Amino acid sequence: MVSGRSLETATALVTAAFGAAVVVSSLDNGIGWSSAGVESGTFPFIVGLVILSGSVFNLWQGWLHAQAVILGPSELRRLGQLFVPAVVFVGIIPLIGMYPASALYVFGALAWQKRGALLLAALAAIGAALALYLIFEVTFQISLPRGVLGALLGF
Amino acid sequence: MENLEALMHGFGIAVSGNHIFLMLIGVLLGILVGVLPGLGAPNGVSLLLPLTFGMQPVSAIILLSSMYWGALFGGSVTSILFNIPGEPSSVATTFDGYPMARDGRPTTALATAFGSAAFGALAGVVLITLSASWVAQVALAFGPPEYFAVYFLAFASFVGMGGSPPVKTLVSLAIGFALAAVGIDTVSGSVRLTMGIDELVKGVSFVVAVMGLFGIGELLIAVEEEFHVKAISSKVEWREVFRTLAGLPRYGWALLRSAAIGCWMGITPGGPTAASFMSYGIAKRLSPRRANFGKGEPEGIIAPETADHAAGTSALLPMLSLGIPGSATAAVMMGGLMIWGLNPGPMLFVEQKDFVWGLIASMYLGNVVAVALVLLTVPIFAALMRVPFFIIAPVIVIICTVGAYSVSNSYLDVMLMMGFGVLGYLFKKLHYPLAPLVLAMVIGDKAEDAFRQSMLMSRGSLGIFFAKPLVATLILLGAALLLMPVIWRTIGRMMPRSQLKP
Repeated sequence: MVSGRSLETATALVTAAFGAAVVVSSLDNGIGWSSAGVESGTFPFIVGLVILSGSVFNLWQGWLHAQAVILGPSELRRLGQLFVPAVVFVGIIPLIGMYPASALYVFGALAWQKRGALLLAALAAIGAALALYLIFEVTFQISLPRGVLGALLGF
Repeated sequence: MENLEALMHGFGIAVSGNHIFLMLIGVLLGILVGVLPGLGAPNGVSLLLPLTFGMQPVSAIILLSSMYWGALFGGSVTSILFNIPGEPSSVATTFDGYPMARDGRPTTALATAFGSAAFGALAGVVLITLSASWVAQVALAFGPPEYFAVYFLAFASFVGMGGSPPVKTLVSLAIGFALAAVGIDTVSGSVRLTMGIDELVKGVSFVVAVMGLFGIGELLIAVEEEFHVKAISSKVEWREVFRTLAGLPRYGWALLRSAAIGCWMGITPGGPTAASFMSYGIAKRLSPRRANFGKGEPEGIIAPETADHAAGTSALLPMLSLGIPGSATAAVMMGGLMIWGLNPGPMLFVEQKDFVWGLIASMYLGNVVAVALVLLTVPIFAALMRVPFFIIAPVIVIICTVGAYSVSNSYLDVMLMMGFGVLGYLFKKLHYPLAPLVLAMVIGDKAEDAFRQSMLMSRGSLGIFFAKPLVATLILLGAALLLMPVIWRTIGRMMPRSQLKP
């Protein structure tokens, strides 16, 4: 269970961390006025400060006003069912390449939801990979990643 | 009259077999992304963008803008038939569109929506036809301080009028600016904000951000809310369509008012979503039939739809004439313009007459094509909604992944996209607006350049922003907009609660 307050807090902390990183990083480029004009770190520095102070304000507001629970167990389960396979899919692309990864992803999603319909899932998986190949590689000549597996097979 | 002549010239360019074909494809793809949850106009346009690099700019912009019109229409279809807004800007259409369709009048609801949408779009295009070249003429005299002032005003109006919590809007904007600054600084040539990752020297592409924020983010929102598709008959009765369209002029006042609200929100970057909500809210307050709102009142469909499309269309006015996009999708298109080697802004009207007027003429045609196509294809796209979500979701994830990768053949972009996806989910969930982030990413560099050039002109004195009346007025107006939320809150505190409620 996730409360609105903890979600607000987490988001504000993420944006604050980003703001702080921007501020620190922009100091390397120099801030303020030099003989060549406004130094290149100035704008990011100001922007970083805005993010940082805005995040602190949002943190405080989120703490004051956030609703009780905004994500129950069933919502979290559904989110996980979508997000975890998506991350796995993205994670295996460098290993086995875009085409096998997409095929596996579609196969997995269908086989999971419709247990038993393995043939259908396999057909859909091959169809998805083939469609990708025809649209990108053939029609628009955009080469999709082959991964370590592709390099091994010389594809 | 000069404009009309130019427009006729534009029609000469837009009306060709090739361009009409691109319009049809664009509108159909647009309706598709508009109907599918998780894919919307900004994504759709970003996805197509890498595929347009080999095209003529006129053909490319006709394809992309037609997709935009299609997406705006597609979003309304699902709002009315399924009570599921396909696009954020068509949320307000569900309030009265769905009840009317549920009560057995789906055709009337659809025809009312499309008719008023077409009127809104027409109002937007006419406004562009009449005033775009004039605005560009004025803007030709602009120097860096004027430009910075206009950018400042645009960003301030997001904070002041966007409708989201102002500080959240500010954070979203500033993150966009920071992301725009990543990579090589165009003025000094030094490398900024790469955080030690060498590949980031090339910068963070707005396409990658859009794929994640709008694609993966919306998908996560959609799966969490687990909608139940309750299909209403999606058969279109043509006689009813014509009867409804013929009856629309009775709502002339509502149409005009909503179109005006839409155009205003489109030009100042409030965007279509804010426009449709504002228009619905005002209609609900002013309409003599306000008691029927929420129960299938035609005016409750007319108000948001007209404003939505008027805003979507007129968002291209500042994009073309000033180089400031009025909505997230317009920002993506403007990014496209820059990639094709065009420089959005007043010079476009001088150097690229064919492009500008070809686009404007195509907007008239594209909207007609969109109305006709959407009516013809309602049953097909409605059937698409019955495809289970667990099949659609992986397809959309794959499309977004490939889309992010194809920007510059980089796996880092795919990982960034997933990161943006989580951010997009959190932001949506907690009412941080996403459009300012994308806008700032696209024009952040230009705004910064304008600021730094102004500073060079004045040798580091901020006084330059108050030296000329126009610049000073714009800056003060922007400052007033920034402070508006604070002012409202103070007024709210000073007045007793009972007086605020009508």
